[in-house]
Amino acid sequence: MNSWTALLIVHGLLAVALLGALTHQVLSVWVPARKPAVSFVGRFRSVPGASYANAVVVLYLLTALLGAVIYAEYRISVRTVLQQLEMRSAEGAFELKEHFAAIGLGLLPAYRYFWRQPLAPEHANTRAILTSILAFVVWWSFLVGHILNNIRGFGV
Amino acid sequence: MNAPFAIVFAVAYAIAYLVCVESNYALFTYHPATVEFGFGVQRAKDGPAMYWFGWMATSGIVAGVTGGLATLLPHAVTRRLWPASTWIVALAAMVAFCWLLKGFFLR
Repeated sequence: MNSWTALLIVHGLLAVALLGALTHQVLSVWVPARKPAVSFVGRFRSVPGASYANAVVVLYLLTALLGAVIYAEYRISVRTVLQQLEMRSAEGAFELKEHFAAIGLGLLPAYRYFWRQPLAPEHANTRAILTSILAFVVWWSFLVGHILNNIRGFGV
Repeated sequence: MNAPFAIVFAVAYAIAYLVCVESNYALFTYHPATVEFGFGVQRAKDGPAMYWFGWMATSGIVAGVTGGLATLLPHAVTRRLWPASTWIVALAAMVAFCWLLKGFFLR
């Protein structure tokens, strides 16, 4: 296993943690549990969303930082293969991933601000939608990264 | 961090990033094959040239300065800033990128 593969695995693990935190938050803001939950889904959405905000910011920054490091290897070893194989949808999906992830970075200060304690009820919709956009960005990035890794893994 | 900075940064960053990508206003270029950084937009040499980092750097500076200036505005002005503009502009930028990159999926 080379260092790129190790970095990719760490990047993926951080992304999984980020996915979990953001998905918990999204469910907690859109369908909050009204009474003590007994089911798995009920407990999943009954978390106090505000307690995830700092973790989401840190995980997003760390995941993006590692993604930026391995992006260079993608450009040299993976993208050229996608172009040679004329896999334009896969290449385009990654282009969207890079732009969505960059826009998500720009949303982090606002996201953190609107999740500050005590939560302002008048900003509930802004908070929910910002969280949902970040969750979409992370889910898209994770799935696209996973698919591209299946097409052409690192260290091949 | 306060509300004017958070709101204006989000709006300015999304707009600046879209403009930077479309017009290629990268603060610096990275050449991954030779592990070299160069100031501004440079042509590819010995492999691809990467502008993504430079676009984000330019956008971050623009948004940081704009957000900083917003904190200097009087409260009577900043209280009119619309919190929803943060996600509306970001979402619009994402849709714009889908449109700009549609050629990857429709050909």
